[in-house]
Amino acid sequence: MQKKSGGNLPAGRSMNRRELLQNGVKAGAVVLIPLVDTSCTTELPPPAVSTPLGSDNDRTLAAVADRILPADELGPSASAAGVVHYINRSLAEWNQTELPVLGKGLADLNEVAIARHLYEFSALTGEQQDVILTELEAGKLDKIVNGQALFNRLLRLTLEGMFSDPYYGGNAGYAGWDLIGYPGAVLASTPDMQKMRERLPMLHTSGHGAEHDGH
Amino acid sequence: MAINLPETDVVVVGLGAAGGVAVLPLAWAGLKVIGLEAGTWMNPGQDYKPDEIHNNVRALVTTGNKAGNEVPTFRTAPDQVARQQPRHPMMNAVGGTSIHYHAQSWRLNPWDFRVKSATIERYGKEFLPEGTTVEDWPLRYQDLEPFYDHIEYEVGVSGKAGNIQGKIDGTGNIFEGPRKRDYPMPPLRSCEFVDHMTQAARSIGFHPYRGPAAINSQPYQGRPGCAFHGWCDRGGCHIRAKSSTDVTTIPRAVSTGNLSVVDNANVRRIETDNTGKATGVTYFRNGKEYFQPARAVLLGTYAYENIRLLLLSQSAFHPNGLGNNRGQVGKHHFGHWDVQAGVAVSALFPFDINTWYGAIAQGVMVDDWADDNFDHKALGFIGGSTLHAYTEKHPIASAAMNTFGRVPKRWGSEWKRFIAENAGRWTTAYIQTNTFPYSNNWADLDPNVRDPFGDPVLRITAGPKLNEPKAASYASGKMIEWFRAAGATEIMGGQGGTGPALSTHAHGGTRMGLDPNTSVTNAFGFVHDCPNLGVIGGSVMGTAGARNPTQTIQALAWRTAEQLVRTLRRA
Repeated sequence: MQKKSGGNLPAGRSMNRRELLQNGVKAGAVVLIPLVDTSCTTELPPPAVSTPLGSDNDRTLAAVADRILPADELGPSASAAGVVHYINRSLAEWNQTELPVLGKGLADLNEVAIARHLYEFSALTGEQQDVILTELEAGKLDKIVNGQALFNRLLRLTLEGMFSDPYYGGNAGYAGWDLIGYPGAVLASTPDMQKMRERLPMLHTSGHGAEHDGH
Repeated sequence: MAINLPETDVVVVGLGAAGGVAVLPLAWAGLKVIGLEAGTWMNPGQDYKPDEIHNNVRALVTTGNKAGNEVPTFRTAPDQVARQQPRHPMMNAVGGTSIHYHAQSWRLNPWDFRVKSATIERYGKEFLPEGTTVEDWPLRYQDLEPFYDHIEYEVGVSGKAGNIQGKIDGTGNIFEGPRKRDYPMPPLRSCEFVDHMTQAARSIGFHPYRGPAAINSQPYQGRPGCAFHGWCDRGGCHIRAKSSTDVTTIPRAVSTGNLSVVDNANVRRIETDNTGKATGVTYFRNGKEYFQPARAVLLGTYAYENIRLLLLSQSAFHPNGLGNNRGQVGKHHFGHWDVQAGVAVSALFPFDINTWYGAIAQGVMVDDWADDNFDHKALGFIGGSTLHAYTEKHPIASAAMNTFGRVPKRWGSEWKRFIAENAGRWTTAYIQTNTFPYSNNWADLDPNVRDPFGDPVLRITAGPKLNEPKAASYASGKMIEWFRAAGATEIMGGQGGTGPALSTHAHGGTRMGLDPNTSVTNAFGFVHDCPNLGVIGGSVMGTAGARNPTQTIQALAWRTAEQLVRTLRRA
């Protein structure tokens, strides 16, 4: 269980996901129940990458990403599709310079949630999270300087994770590409793959070969 | 102390789109050529991936240290401090930016060569845009025609002629200048979306044609035809179907035995003697400094670096920079008025258009509203734009689509439903506008920002333009009409744009001309005050057409190289 230290949350009031599931109805946090991705028969193992943001921030990040792309009848949520894996990988590899700003931004966002609702951001209801994110997007959270830039970055990274090649840890089971109808990365296309007025058959192919295609 | 190397006939600085072409006629003529390239050879099978993170997010194909270390600064008025810009995709490698460009390969319209006199003839002198420094080119379309032909056949360009020796063919571009013969290959494969847009253009009286591409549409010169996998933009071709110079002209020049490629060579100065003549170039490679003497130098880097290297190469004879005794180096410089200037029209269709695969050059083009192809008398501007509908759309960019005002938020459940339906239903047209030089737009050395060698980077100053946004806005209106005829239900854009900061189509700065008081290079691209130094690249172009400049750059480079062969043989 993650205790929020230094915040104004009374000891014992911080909740992790397991507790939320137990107290879900009371907390009104049913949207946080992780959905099982049924679109893919095999589950991708989580990529072996570090979590450079730390687990507190990872939890906030997952919650933000899941408000951007929530689970619904169209498919899994962003975090269930591995978006947090993707973002961590990018921060460990090519986005290293972004780590301090993003880490601080996520921590600040969590502080806002705690100050307002006494719960971590990830423990709030979807509606509560949306209110905070909408204010962040508009740059209206006093505690967060450059809130708009932070929101735009979180949005962009979530999209990258959901719709990039599964090679990078997101788009698990091709959930992102299935959502928008992108058949898959190929080395050659046929005229049939450029047909209009119909959804193309999904190929579920990675640009990095079969060993990375998630099956 | 620089290590002195043995003299060669010609040293070519930069083996990209321009230098990579110039080496072939030089090598064929038996001249000994050293090609200095800041990057190295790419390996098509290994370095190129069908992957948006690799190409478009991480820019792994387009990243080159040298270009990244000397990104120009930019400002919009002389009283501002110019700021260094995000890095632009100009690339250091053998083949240069021809590796990852879209390979749309055009001849300019004959009008582009004589904008000033043609405008005065048709509309009167007062019709020239205020503040422009435009001059006619010192050559005409017909002078360049044979060299356009060389490029189409020796580099490899696919397309359909619209005007063979005056005979007009409506399946090609009826507005193009007369050409000796057709392209060596037919246009790239079409697709349903391109066919659909073609029919829509015809239905409203436009004259659509398949845009030419420096991409094989069928096997040509030992390379295969395009596979249409949809990763042309900022990615190299994994099967060498794109006619980048690293797989076309450069290897053929190497195979003559007359071209030696020196990779990882950072050229810092062009050296001159006390008569002002070029003696060779100084470069750094793996921490050592070398002097490469040569009978002649061809400067073939990107437009920015062409200007910068001249300004940095100061000597007693050229105290203000090489070729700059009349203050013309960096003048008449400008970026192309295209999507980087903020000109774009996007459309949403009520059905899947599925433009995922293909190639950006797999498109259909309309020239009706470009150049001087329509009467401008009542319009108050000159020039116009080409309109290009195309394929190749990557999944992250598609999901990050503009929502055309159809959903209130760009995240959340409702938005998710919107992109699920519409990410495969939208497209953007590529609109390129004739662009001219102005007195408020130039390049010089930045007083504050330096590269790792301690040399100043280039500084671009670009004040507002009035003519180009009017022309772009007018043509964008025609694009809106075209999309509407094609059945698009939502259309946005149509503003004329505010201008580019850095441009992947940078023009001018070492302009060609007959008058040394208004130009840097002569009609063949040789520096007025340094006749054994030729400049090749977009920096010699005095106007920008309403289309990508590369094939014109390559035709000019071939012509400059042939002229150099004649000069060196005479000597």
